[in-house]
Amino acid sequence: MQTMADAREHPGHWSTGIAGLICLCVLAVAFLWHISVGAKEIPFAVIVEALFTYNRDQFDHIVVHEIRLPRALMAVFVGAGLAVAGALMQGVTRNPLADPGLLGLMAGATFAVVVASLFSVPDFSMIPLIAAAGALIAAVFVWLVASAVRGGATPMSMVLAGAAMSAFLGALTTALLLIDQQSFEQLRVWMTGTLTVRPRGIALWSYGWLCVGLLIALAIARQVTTLAMGDETATGLGVNIRRLRIAVLSAVVLLTAASVSLVGPMGFVGLVTPHFVRLIVGFDYRWVIPGSALAGAVFLLLTDIVARTVLAPVEISTGLVTAFIGAPVLVWLVKTRL
Amino acid sequence: MSLPKSSRAQVDDRSFSLALPRGGVLLLLALGVASVGATLLSVTVGSFPVSATDALLTLVRGAPSEMAETVVMQFRLPRALVAVVAGGLLAGSGAILQNVARNPLADPSLVGVSQGASVAVVTLIVMFPGMPYELRPAAAILGALAAALIIQLSSNRDSGSATLRFILTGVAVAAFLSAVTGAMLTYGDVDRAVSAMTWLAGSLATVSWDDVWLLSLFVLTVMPALCWASRPLRALRMGREIAISLGASFQRDRLLLVLLAVLLAAVAVSTVGPVGFVGLIAPHLARMLARTGPGLHLFLSMAIGGLLLACADLLGRGLFEPIQIPAGLVTALLGAPFFAYLLISRRGT
Amino acid sequence: MNASSNDLTVRDVTVAYGQTEVVRKLSIDIPQHQLTALVGPNGCGKSTLLKAIARVLPIQSGQVLLGSAPVHTMPTRQVASILGFLPQGPIAPEGLSVRELVAQGRFPHQSLMRQWSSADARAVDQAMAATNIADFADRPIDHLSGGERQRAWIAMVLAQDTPILLLDEPTTFLDLKVQVDIMRLLQRITHDASKTILIVMHELNIAAAFADHLIMMRAGRVRASGDVLSVFTERNLSAVFDLDARVLTSPENGRPVCIPSVA
Repeated sequence: MQTMADAREHPGHWSTGIAGLICLCVLAVAFLWHISVGAKEIPFAVIVEALFTYNRDQFDHIVVHEIRLPRALMAVFVGAGLAVAGALMQGVTRNPLADPGLLGLMAGATFAVVVASLFSVPDFSMIPLIAAAGALIAAVFVWLVASAVRGGATPMSMVLAGAAMSAFLGALTTALLLIDQQSFEQLRVWMTGTLTVRPRGIALWSYGWLCVGLLIALAIARQVTTLAMGDETATGLGVNIRRLRIAVLSAVVLLTAASVSLVGPMGFVGLVTPHFVRLIVGFDYRWVIPGSALAGAVFLLLTDIVARTVLAPVEISTGLVTAFIGAPVLVWLVKTRL
Repeated sequence: MSLPKSSRAQVDDRSFSLALPRGGVLLLLALGVASVGATLLSVTVGSFPVSATDALLTLVRGAPSEMAETVVMQFRLPRALVAVVAGGLLAGSGAILQNVARNPLADPSLVGVSQGASVAVVTLIVMFPGMPYELRPAAAILGALAAALIIQLSSNRDSGSATLRFILTGVAVAAFLSAVTGAMLTYGDVDRAVSAMTWLAGSLATVSWDDVWLLSLFVLTVMPALCWASRPLRALRMGREIAISLGASFQRDRLLLVLLAVLLAAVAVSTVGPVGFVGLIAPHLARMLARTGPGLHLFLSMAIGGLLLACADLLGRGLFEPIQIPAGLVTALLGAPFFAYLLISRRGT
Repeated sequence: MNASSNDLTVRDVTVAYGQTEVVRKLSIDIPQHQLTALVGPNGCGKSTLLKAIARVLPIQSGQVLLGSAPVHTMPTRQVASILGFLPQGPIAPEGLSVRELVAQGRFPHQSLMRQWSSADARAVDQAMAATNIADFADRPIDHLSGGERQRAWIAMVLAQDTPILLLDEPTTFLDLKVQVDIMRLLQRITHDASKTILIVMHELNIAAAFADHLIMMRAGRVRASGDVLSVFTERNLSAVFDLDARVLTSPENGRPVCIPSVA
């Protein structure tokens, strides 16, 4: 965080290489810190040892490998994915409040996953795709409702339609879980957004789809910048708006669905991070997208550290901590940006 | 200026009935009857079937069997009564907020007031389990007031799009407070957390006669305030500038009305949990069913709200027997699409 | 209440939004039983002044007096029986009918105990007849045209039955024909019911054609005040509006008309 603040004070003075290097260093430090924190503090040196010269006989090494490393990786990928999803949505809809959680995509994905586990879908590879279907349907519905509002799909009508969608799907999800007590036991913790280990199959497929989503996002970043300046401008610059919209939507849906499959609904990461990143790198999405990926990863690593330590030995759901941080930011955005 | 005779007669007729339109009064009566019907129905429905006649006998003379006595008197009757009264309070809160905020989307659960009450009650349940039950309403009121204060401070009322902004700020505050509640649940003892969670889902499964007495006492206490409210509501729903020029004490009246709305919602939430959307739907239904001034509209909304929550509870109990869906979920399933409908049909500003 | 309590005067009034003073130590007398138009370029503080007179805005210093009583400290309900105010672009609660809207004007004449009287009914009917809206008394406000809606709002202030009426841009965004109708209506109310009316407006020629008295404001101060003929001059138009225009006399009614120079 310190270096980020430094970078902000000298915008443009850093060559891009150095800036990127510093960001990666911040990420590495946050990553190591995240692994070291826990019931037993593990020094950085031991972590590095465990990562590069793994010794099966050392208890600390096992803890790092089996428990803490997977969790840290999860934070990195999900944080990056959600932040990029938020950045894409904010760019394309020109809505400073766009976020997979606020616009109902997360509730859609969550509902779909719950339905899937209710019917005990055996094939884990399907889970992220089912979640994607849920997110997509929710996104389309929210868009339709928001467009039908007088004045069109403004930031406010979108968020309010998203809130209605989330409330509806949330109630439906809870009702389903009450009907099936067994799924409730399994999914209760996941529902609040926690970085706990998921079945291997789901995790692998989710990581795969997260990578696909991130790659799409990087590929279209340049065109998103033009779209953020308005449809006419973008068309004038030779961008095929329809195709770009579809690409953005699929990237956002994939990223959201994979994140939800992994860690459950984790709100506000996609809202907060891109705003912070734009403060530093400006409005060129070639920088906003990778910047959001890095910042989102760091953000979620840090929030997860807070979630694990603030009430230790009890762990709070990470999704609650992101809400603690995100909700005031939302109030601030409503107050200043709309 | 001379006037046609007929119009004068019509007007005189109105003054006779204190400007209460007859249709509205009749509707209020009909709603009362419907609420009694819903209560009776709710007494008969459940895993232990009680016939309508047995239920009536139990209520009037004495139960035909001990089981019927327990089921009806201990569980179902207080539950049905609490549903009617709490639903009424939530709807009253919504009706007042909608008029004062001049916002057809206002509802205690959408603007964060219910969540404020929830945080306080969950804190009480989880952190101070030894505290007497009677403290819940007090805690709920404090929490709801705090939430209202936060929203007031953080929403910017100067702008043109204040209506939606107000709701958006409420959405944010509600998200924040829900997170606090969630954290409280992870922190606390498991048993207490589970009891708090049932309450949070808006379930009426645990209510008792204590709740009935408490709510009744409260309704009697605020009745004068509700009657008083009709007049300032008339002025305030016209907006600040017109209200002032009509001679209303705008600042004072708004403060008192918001306090009243918060109070109504908080007490309801403290017994049945943060049941959403009743306060949103009921005032609109009341307006669709009868054209009245804001005073009668307030009472109509309350009657409809009571009926709504009673029906929601009935649905939740009956649909997937033996599993009980909390009434709060049923109202959310009905209310969220209704919210979207209101959003779409809203007039542009 | 003696007759002079209907005398509206503004004494050294300053109104500010935050640090910026919008109205500066302004003093005017509003002539009784006349239609006074308050005009000035955008941002000159004319609407702010009107709102301050209507006690909808607080004032920093000075006094708005009804007779000898300051409006901002009088019981607000007492003010409401002397002073009626119609803000710019008012929005009615959804679904309200015309009659219900007009009935709102009776608010200050009622109380919790005295809800609705035949005097109220009479005032509402008279107000609707005067504004010629009785035909659609039961239609919802949302379904009216702009001109009809504005007449309904004017009826609401009329039903308040106050000797003084303040109207903030009652003709803005209306067709020329409708503007003329509204101004004729206000003119008739002023003279038939001997009311004192103060309106803020944009259309200079309409103001000149219908007002009895004209006040020109610029940058928070009064630059000219008096009967229309003496105030509506080329010099004042140039000084207040930076408007290079010729003032002619209308063959219709002898009122002045301004024609902007095209060169």
